[in-house]
Amino acid sequence: MSGLSRRGLLRGAVYGAGAAVTASALSGCGSLAGSVASADDIQYWTLFTGPDGALMKTITRGVEKRVPGLKVKTTVLDWGPPYYTKLAMASAGGRAPDVAIMHLTRLAGYAPGGLLDPWDTDLLAEFGLKQEDLNPTLVKRSRYQGAPYAIPLDTHPFVVFFDRDVLQKADLLTTEGQLIPFESPRHALELMDRLRRSGGKLGPVFGHTNDAAMSWRMFWTLFSQTGATFDLTGERAEIDEDTAVEVVRFMAELARDSRTMDVQTAIAAFANGKSPMIFSGEWDMATYKSALKGRLGGSPFPTFYDHPAGASDSHALVLPHQDNPDPERRRRTHQFVAELVRSGLTWATAGHIPAYTPAVSSAAYAKLSPQSEYAGAAKQLALDPPVWFAGSGSDFQTRMCQALDPVFGGSSPASAVRTMVSQINTLMAQPNPA
Amino acid sequence: MTTQTLSPRTPGKPRSTMPREVVRRRRYGGHAWHPTLGTGLLPRVLTLLALALMAVVWLVPFGWGVDTSFKSEVDASASGADWIPKAGFTLDAYRTIFGQGNLPVWALNSIVIAVCVTALTVAVSAMAAYAFSRTLFRGRRVLFALIVASIMVPPQILIVPLFRQMLAMNLVDTYAAVILPQVVAPAMVFILKKFFDGIPRELEEAARIDGAGSFRVFWSVVMPLSRPILAAVAIFVFINTWNNFLWPFISTSDPQLMTLPVGLSTVKDSTGLQNAQQSAASILGSLPLLIIFMLFQRQIVKSVATTGLGGQ
Amino acid sequence: MASVSTPARQAAAGSRRPAATDRPRSAGRTGWLFATPFLVFFTLFLVVPLGIGLWMSFTDSSLTGHGDSTFVGLDNYTEAFGDSQVWETLGNTVWFTVLSTVPLVIISLVMALLVYTGMPGQWLWRLSFFASHLLPVAVVFQIWNMLYQPDRGMLNAVLKAVGIDGIGWLTDEKYAMWSIALVTLWWTVGFNFLLYLAALQAIPDHLYEAAALDGAGAWRRLWSITLPQLRRTTALIAVLQVMASLKVFDQIYLLTKGGPNGSTRPILEYIYDTGFTNYRLGYASAVSYVFFGVIIILSLAQLKIFSRRED
Repeated sequence: MSGLSRRGLLRGAVYGAGAAVTASALSGCGSLAGSVASADDIQYWTLFTGPDGALMKTITRGVEKRVPGLKVKTTVLDWGPPYYTKLAMASAGGRAPDVAIMHLTRLAGYAPGGLLDPWDTDLLAEFGLKQEDLNPTLVKRSRYQGAPYAIPLDTHPFVVFFDRDVLQKADLLTTEGQLIPFESPRHALELMDRLRRSGGKLGPVFGHTNDAAMSWRMFWTLFSQTGATFDLTGERAEIDEDTAVEVVRFMAELARDSRTMDVQTAIAAFANGKSPMIFSGEWDMATYKSALKGRLGGSPFPTFYDHPAGASDSHALVLPHQDNPDPERRRRTHQFVAELVRSGLTWATAGHIPAYTPAVSSAAYAKLSPQSEYAGAAKQLALDPPVWFAGSGSDFQTRMCQALDPVFGGSSPASAVRTMVSQINTLMAQPNPA
Repeated sequence: MTTQTLSPRTPGKPRSTMPREVVRRRRYGGHAWHPTLGTGLLPRVLTLLALALMAVVWLVPFGWGVDTSFKSEVDASASGADWIPKAGFTLDAYRTIFGQGNLPVWALNSIVIAVCVTALTVAVSAMAAYAFSRTLFRGRRVLFALIVASIMVPPQILIVPLFRQMLAMNLVDTYAAVILPQVVAPAMVFILKKFFDGIPRELEEAARIDGAGSFRVFWSVVMPLSRPILAAVAIFVFINTWNNFLWPFISTSDPQLMTLPVGLSTVKDSTGLQNAQQSAASILGSLPLLIIFMLFQRQIVKSVATTGLGGQ
Repeated sequence: MASVSTPARQAAAGSRRPAATDRPRSAGRTGWLFATPFLVFFTLFLVVPLGIGLWMSFTDSSLTGHGDSTFVGLDNYTEAFGDSQVWETLGNTVWFTVLSTVPLVIISLVMALLVYTGMPGQWLWRLSFFASHLLPVAVVFQIWNMLYQPDRGMLNAVLKAVGIDGIGWLTDEKYAMWSIALVTLWWTVGFNFLLYLAALQAIPDHLYEAAALDGAGAWRRLWSITLPQLRRTTALIAVLQVMASLKVFDQIYLLTKGGPNGSTRPILEYIYDTGFTNYRLGYASAVSYVFFGVIIILSLAQLKIFSRRED
């Protein structure tokens, strides 16, 4: 190998390329100051991966087929803080996507700060989506100063799944195959013992270790059922701490077979028959269904205290703020969203309860099992407190879970509640940035 | 400082192009004597073994990525350390990647941004360095001290105010927002000035006597003499910009504007985690620099050696 | 290229004798003309943001609300000094710096010493050790995230094969930071390796020749010539490495998002989280300046230590 000539060749190539690139770049870089205008596609941000993501892709394609000329470019970002941070930064920058998915409980951190633009409900109605066809609890929550800032697509509650056969044997089902009512927490614990005796293995399970939401969902469900005070609107938190301690104690008792279970372990325990009952998000329904087939039963979260309630949230569609929205583009975005929300029945196959009520009351939905069995959960929604720092994927939920988790390992409920309250007060002491 | 420094290519001083080993071998009359190893055979064998072992350890992770990219998705997410997949090797992952269309956009963005930043940085830094090296403008001492001091300012602590500034300038989510702040490289001005200081002035004076103006002297006398250092600076800036993550990550939210490192790590596929596809995208995303390195190893090594210590 | 060039010395001779045509006034104008493009960038994207950041750190500036902000005096700094998260993430950053700097200096030196022996395959060795430095962080993340998977990853499979229980590389608080340091070592060691290699090549041959004539063996030459000759380079590499490690963000953000339980969150991620995730640009600026202060103090301390050792 003649090293010299090779090197000479390379050097020549480098200088040639370097000179050409420098010249073109210096003239070119200046003209790149503006953003590249993308095509006419509606830019749509979602956080759906897995079965949800695949289904959303199908629905979007369907809408594109139904509406001539409508093209949607979907971008999937990592769910959780990365998604919400990017969304806020894009909105603040004024060149945000046309439409995005947002958890309804996060609205309080976005709408007041001018990060979102309001929807035109007349326009949506023109495309066949009337506000009265949407779940009223969700619609109420989607407003800020009277204006609609979110269009709910679904609600995804914290529910309970069970193995029909085992529960039947333990006499825990009514003749219609539904969970028998629980009279009190004490009564519930007795029935769970009965379940353990008849099943011979684990009682109900609940995955929570290292998770940044599950313990909070469980606590918020149970606490909401008591109807006690949990007011975060003032200077400092006003929380009925005695009730909270009582709820936390019960929560640890209820989950005593899953003290150190993480979400995956609990799912596996239920799916492979070790446990006949799991407190879970409905979004893992598909996994259970494929494991238990026809034996799978579902129900809204059982009422242990005085009021029916189950922690929940809603995937809603929002218009991230744009400095100069193109009216025609906005119009097509409205049309897309109207079509999307009205596709609720298809969306329901993944497990979520559609916010579009005609879909839920349809005959086709009644045939979906176990979806139709837990659909009642949509009437007992316990959404996170409406403050800027709460909601799905928030630092608030992470802190609550970190405070609650030691309780499952046997530490004192009172100290967990004290930690929770002090964490909440820390968050409340921070200035509301929105 | 005794580390290797590039010297100006003054005429009449031919550079030795002979590999160092050959020089040494000649000097010691062909004996296999080595300054750090001596003459024994055992040390050589042990050294070679140690080198091979370390190289393997360093190559295995990347090799695993390459291997995974040629697996089916099922094999790619199977547990264990099987290098040969059960279902055989396949190009499926690469086919899917090319069908999706995001990767070429990010690659193009990376090229545009890295080339722009490199060209602008070299141009403005070289001119400024020449000014500090050769001209006596008022305030140059203070300014130069300021620039050298600013090497201490980590760009990372500026992300918050810079983003705020970009908001005010209405530049968030534009190429300009990604490119412009990366052009400030005070260390490169320092390195270049040091180099220019070493160029004998006689050549410039001769050109001036021939009637050349300042810019002409700079362009046709100083620049050609400085090719090695300019190449070193350019390579260094290019690699750093190509792989820069934090600022492009902060300044772009639009997937159409993302660079390879940012796009690959923030945009997901709607069907969830797919090891084979993600690996294939990663391998493709790292190929450009790896190929450049294989072709121009000598230049790149020299670039790192001259610029890596900030010219000290 | 073994010759040690001395541009600095030439420069010293030259600068005392400005070029004949450099008359003060026109030279001043030329100088400004040449310096202006850089100074524009320097001012706009370094001086101005430094100023904006300082101003913002005294306000409650937010990502939302169209940029309205009010002056809050020293409130942000008071909060920062009392904020346990600031100290915790600063502690994590320092811990990472220690965990990464030591191997990054030692292993790069070993690599350089081995390659410098001139064994055949120089091109391949340099490629092996330096190539990973050219990978974008997204690729580093993809590869190591696969290797570190607790139940399906290759590392745990290898551990299992030799009879050791797998560990939660990134999910166990005990190991997470070590795992991050390991990734960092693999990713960036090549850079220091090249710096050492260049320094080794600059050691004059006659030192070795003299030692050989005196009958010094290989080990003796290593300890009494090579390593002492590398002392200054080592100091510089260590200083640069400490500075680089303090600014860690990319690989941690991608691999663990600062978890588990905040055990790997570096202060830069806290700045990012506070400023962008929680919108508090003003407070994030204050934390940035606190961090900047720490960096300056550390740099000055290092400078002092190393300059004393030089004497």
